[in-house]
Amino acid sequence: MMGVLVLIGALLAQAPVEERLAAIRADLFSRTDRVAEDVRELKQILATDPRSADAHELLGIAYRTLGTPELIGESVAEFRQALELDPDRVAVRFFLSRVYLDLGRPERAKEELETALTKSPGNPQLLTLLGETERQLKNPRRAVQVIDGALQADESNAQARYYRALALFDLGQRDEAIKELERVVGAHPEALDPYLALGTAYLDANRSADAVKTLSDAARIDPARREPHIQLARAYRMKGLLDKAEAQLALAAPRERATTQAAYDVQGEQVELEFELESGLVKLQRGQLTAAATAFKKVLEMDPANERATRGLAEVRRRQTRNGK
Amino acid sequence: MTGPGWRVAAVLVALAQPGNVSARFVDVTATSRITFVHQSGASPEKRLPETMGSGVAWIDYDNDGFPDLYFVNGAPGSSNALYHNNHDGTFTDVTARAGVAANGLGPTVFKTGVAVGDFDNDGFLDLFVTTLGPNVLYRNNHDGTFTDVTAKAGVAGGAAEWSTSAGFFDYDGDGYLDLFLANYVDYRLSENPYCGLKKDGYRTYCHPTMFDGVADRLFHNNGDGTFTDVSKKAGIANPAGKGLGVTFCDFDGDGRTDIFVANDTVRNFLYRNNGDGTFTDVAYRAGVGFDPNGKPRAGMGVDCADVDGDGRPDLFVTNFSEELNALFLNRGDGIFEETSERAGLGSSYLPLGFGTKLFDMDNDGDLDMFVTNGHVIDNVKLFQPNLSYAQRDLLYENIGGGRFKDVSTESGPAFGVDRVGRGLAVADFDNDGNLDVVISNAGRPAVLLRNQGVRAGNWISIRAKGRKSNAFGLGATVTIETSEGRQVREINNVASYLSSNDVRLHVGVGAAKIIQRLEIRWPSGTRQVLTGIAVNQILVVEEP
Repeated sequence: MMGVLVLIGALLAQAPVEERLAAIRADLFSRTDRVAEDVRELKQILATDPRSADAHELLGIAYRTLGTPELIGESVAEFRQALELDPDRVAVRFFLSRVYLDLGRPERAKEELETALTKSPGNPQLLTLLGETERQLKNPRRAVQVIDGALQADESNAQARYYRALALFDLGQRDEAIKELERVVGAHPEALDPYLALGTAYLDANRSADAVKTLSDAARIDPARREPHIQLARAYRMKGLLDKAEAQLALAAPRERATTQAAYDVQGEQVELEFELESGLVKLQRGQLTAAATAFKKVLEMDPANERATRGLAEVRRRQTRNGK
Repeated sequence: MTGPGWRVAAVLVALAQPGNVSARFVDVTATSRITFVHQSGASPEKRLPETMGSGVAWIDYDNDGFPDLYFVNGAPGSSNALYHNNHDGTFTDVTARAGVAANGLGPTVFKTGVAVGDFDNDGFLDLFVTTLGPNVLYRNNHDGTFTDVTAKAGVAGGAAEWSTSAGFFDYDGDGYLDLFLANYVDYRLSENPYCGLKKDGYRTYCHPTMFDGVADRLFHNNGDGTFTDVSKKAGIANPAGKGLGVTFCDFDGDGRTDIFVANDTVRNFLYRNNGDGTFTDVAYRAGVGFDPNGKPRAGMGVDCADVDGDGRPDLFVTNFSEELNALFLNRGDGIFEETSERAGLGSSYLPLGFGTKLFDMDNDGDLDMFVTNGHVIDNVKLFQPNLSYAQRDLLYENIGGGRFKDVSTESGPAFGVDRVGRGLAVADFDNDGNLDVVISNAGRPAVLLRNQGVRAGNWISIRAKGRKSNAFGLGATVTIETSEGRQVREINNVASYLSSNDVRLHVGVGAAKIIQRLEIRWPSGTRQVLTGIAVNQILVVEEP
């Protein structure tokens, strides 16, 4: 098998550059197990032709697919080189916008998407992403409007519906958001985020049975992610099943080693906050007041204005005072 | 004293002799009367320029044969400082008289780097100061003063651009020094985003991925005191770059100076000079863009010179913490091979390297390596307890074959001091035949380290005077042949981080008593051969 792959690689290396680029493009959009090889080949192409916009574009896509923190910046760099060579590349602006959103830079994503839309008006993929960008820029009403434009072209667009649901949450329209997410999840996507959002929404709506089922699906899709387990712990705690809640928290326990990257892991900090908060609430419900207080204090270190932790800590102190008496 | 006891004592004494160490650097800052303290402008807002530091330059501005010192300060409103070398190991602050404080650039202008070169070929070195904002070109008036000629020259760059390292070189061989300017990221003080965690005390400086890169600039010297921005035409305006370090060398031996740019978190650039006013980025082909795993690193400082004695310039780049500093050996076929680990640079893995220089610290005929370190995240200990903001310098001795030995701990107490090292520059400031080091520390006092010269290797220092070529012969290739062997070097003061080194070329020749043959290939193409030259002198060579 390895010999065949080597042979294919050697043959591809001799093929005209256009054919090699087409093969890599097909690879990148259809499978993820050859990305490292694609990167190597794209670098070879750029070694002979540093001004190949196609190669820069595909390398940007490959780096984003690999998704490691070290490569995200390089992904932006490759996309920007592709645009420098050919500013009319709508697809590059689309992918570049996605990276900007990954990086928490919606302003730059918006610039790129609006430029792309001048070249491809009404493009549903661009509108979908622009809608999410507007939401991240705290314009949820505008987000819904833009995404509705995308759904006019294709109402089964699951990505658009997911983003629309998020915008509806931001607008306080929880029931409508749940309906959107149920449509998305109904298509059984192998993506964790819609399940997590829906499961969490069910919990907020006190639909704990639905929540447990949906969050369990989320945990199945990506067992390493901490958020589904934290939300499952919350669901079990609400049902009074504290052993099960603690079992889920054990699965959600932090396990990353210290790195400089942690200095920038805002999302990780939010997950950590949710973890400590849920731990505190479970401990409180068990009457383990010292442990609960410790957890609530950790939450307040991360977010001094956190109301649930403040209330939890007050409850701990009230009970400690009462017990003291 | 006789008997076994005497022999043991003799061995112990021998071990303690300086002969067992290659160099010893002593902190002479206090006695030199250099009192420069870098002002970083550190604030709770954690504005990125605060932690990137500033540069330092050796510049013999009055042509008295002793290198003077110019420090760039950081915070808006702070003053740069020019120190005159008094020839007795002390310096005098002459900033006010010279008019090079650059403290009136505005409330948002952080100052960063410095380049030194004689752009008007009048035989006096000029100064170029880079900033987060408009850059400044100071023309040397020959009387100890300088005049800001930026507007006339047209080299300010973008009004809001963050320029970092810069350097003068003659890319088109017309005898006038052109100016290359590395630009960093599209950062605006007014939009300083919150980065790091929300937890109190955990805000930190933003990662470079939070900002777009900015294209570098190349200014062509028109020979009349003005420059033309030829960045796009020349093919060096890649908007993806996040340049921090720059150096020049003729990597392919075609007689034309090429450019290497160390970028932060994106791949490095290697621009091959096509000889027609344009450059081609050959980093992918050359293998100098990424680490051996194909990932970009955080390039900071840089130098190029022949470290393995094969006559071809190699490349050295300092990188982020938990990235090895990178040594790329030039194979001579347009391809470089990274040998960092087997070259013995393993101790550079944890520190975060900035300023650096390849130079012959012990005059034994090969190039050693100095790296100053310091993290960029001032509260890094909160996230990674094994790291710290202030870090120790690293000194490596060349042990032949492209390999190095970390000799930091045996080279003097100066290497036991934690610094927030940024700019670094090298010169033999006391003309004693040993190259000394100055370091600019972010938010802290600068440090002057005098090389005690514990090994008595011979040397020669070449002060080139161009006629058809630029006045200081920058870009000339010098080949030196002695009984100890042959060395090929380039006259190039552009290396390190934000900094500029002495324009004189210092070459150690070990035990050789005479230089049998010295050939200079001037940037004009003229070849000049000298023979039978005495060592241990500063040799002024005029282009024929």
